[in-house]
Amino acid sequence: MGVLVKKVELTWWERLYVVSVAIGMGVTFKHFIKQLLTPTSKRYTIQYPDMKKEMPKGYRGLHELKRFEDGAIKCVACFMCQEACPARCISIEAEEFSELNFTQGFEEKRPATFKIDMLRCIFCGMCEEACPKDAIWLRDNYELAAYDRLSMNFGKWDLINTYAEPDGKARLTQAEESPMTPSRRTVAL
Amino acid sequence: METLASLLHTSPATAWMAVKVLMAFGLIMGIAPPLTWAERRGSAMIQDRIGPNRAALFGKIRILGLVQALADGVKFFFKEDLVPPHANKRLFWLAPLLAFVPAMLGFAVIPMGRSFLSGGTEYHLSLLDPGNGMGMLFPMAVGAMAVYGILVAAWSSNNKWAILGGMRASAQMVSYEVGLSLAVIAIFMVTGGYDPHEIVKAQQGTFLGVLPNWYVFRQPFGFLVFFVCMFAEANRLPFDFAEGESEIVAGFHIEYGSMKFALIGLAEYGHILGASALITTMYLGGWGIPFVADHGQIPVIVTFLVFLTKVIALCLVFIWVRWTLPRFRYDQLMNLGWKKLLPISMANLLYFAYRMRG
Ligand code: SF4
Ligand code: SF4
Repeated sequence: MGVLVKKVELTWWERLYVVSVAIGMGVTFKHFIKQLLTPTSKRYTIQYPDMKKEMPKGYRGLHELKRFEDGAIKCVACFMCQEACPARCISIEAEEFSELNFTQGFEEKRPATFKIDMLRCIFCGMCEEACPKDAIWLRDNYELAAYDRLSMNFGKWDLINTYAEPDGKARLTQAEESPMTPSRRTVAL
Repeated sequence: METLASLLHTSPATAWMAVKVLMAFGLIMGIAPPLTWAERRGSAMIQDRIGPNRAALFGKIRILGLVQALADGVKFFFKEDLVPPHANKRLFWLAPLLAFVPAMLGFAVIPMGRSFLSGGTEYHLSLLDPGNGMGMLFPMAVGAMAVYGILVAAWSSNNKWAILGGMRASAQMVSYEVGLSLAVIAIFMVTGGYDPHEIVKAQQGTFLGVLPNWYVFRQPFGFLVFFVCMFAEANRLPFDFAEGESEIVAGFHIEYGSMKFALIGLAEYGHILGASALITTMYLGGWGIPFVADHGQIPVIVTFLVFLTKVIALCLVFIWVRWTLPRFRYDQLMNLGWKKLLPISMANLLYFAYRMRG
């Protein structure tokens, strides 16, 4: 079925063009002046590397593995996120650790390795939903790019540390804590 | 002037000619690249965008993206210069020149400032001195040659899109030429001569007491026709039928790359400049300062600057119009050219002819 296109008949005034063109030029001139006088920070365009967009609260970007106040990792290596992940990009290896001095129990489980393959991750947030400990969050960093595939395979340290600086937390490195994963003893605040 | 001439071991006339050539050439070459910048940034501002602002000298000095033109130039130079295998090689090479040279040549008779006396001889700020017998007919004739540049470029590249674009553009340019010439004749008639110097002289003083004695105000309809036709001549939106992304891709220069493409692009800006210079001389009083009847005491440089200001302002209007209007449909274009502009300029001519009777 054909669509009836309504033909717009111009009045003789509009068909003179001159007036309409003058009005149009007025409109563009207004935009020109407006854009010229708007400071860069207030324009629609966000000049990316210099300025960054404020991401909304629920944005699902790069994951963070959360830590307790004293620096110990919250994750208990329950594998819930690994199970929930539709892209099958999380791979966890669990380990036991015991610290008799502390109240949280004698034997605890924590991840020895916690890898997320960011090339496969679809940022669906299922891992976040599944986690019983609120240990994994998807946050606002969307600048994920690398020169090779290997570096897109984020390990535990990357996931812990990515947001350390913006949050004003201490960065943790394996070197400081080797061979053990963050422990409450040394990183206590 | 004499000292300069003796320094160069030439006659004053030759030295002055060299100065003038350098001036005209420098004017075009000096204004065209900033015009591309103005076009990009200006269009961006009109559309609430920002435009190219990242190109920087030594990676540091951005100067509002002005260096973008430089970067483009360098890029064009280092691009592979490809001639498509089925193109006519000779014409393919010739076409950018054919587009570019007429754009430059039009400047030859335009007076860029007041004539002055030095050492008993009168020097003129136009390449060709007045009384050369060509006057304003020369830029008209040469400007009309620009159509060959487009046509040859289109035809020699042996590409259907290019040919379509070239045909459209040439049909348009030729039809608009008619209305244009009639508008110009009205000016020649009123002035009583077709020398640009006379035309500029005739526009000094005031008109009706409140307006500058420019032909814009004395022949508004003629100006309208001339202005619109100049857009068509310069192949600018809303009359850029040589191109058309949605229909024939890049049109006549679809097969062009590297420096040849840059030359075609430069020719477009050359045409804008030429058109602006023509409009300035014919309708906006040339180098004359508005309301001033006697320019005898005003320094030459001031008149030159006045001319420059007018030309650049007009160039900006060209850009402004481009980013305001969408393109015409082809039949609308022909309608406008033959059924509106031509009768208007004809009536304009007849009116002024009638007034001059007796
Ligand atoms: S966001 Fe989705 S795809 Fe990515 S790791 Fe979590 S569950 Fe897997
Ligand atoms: S991140 Fe959460 S769901 Fe995943 S293993 Fe750790 S505690 Fe379990």
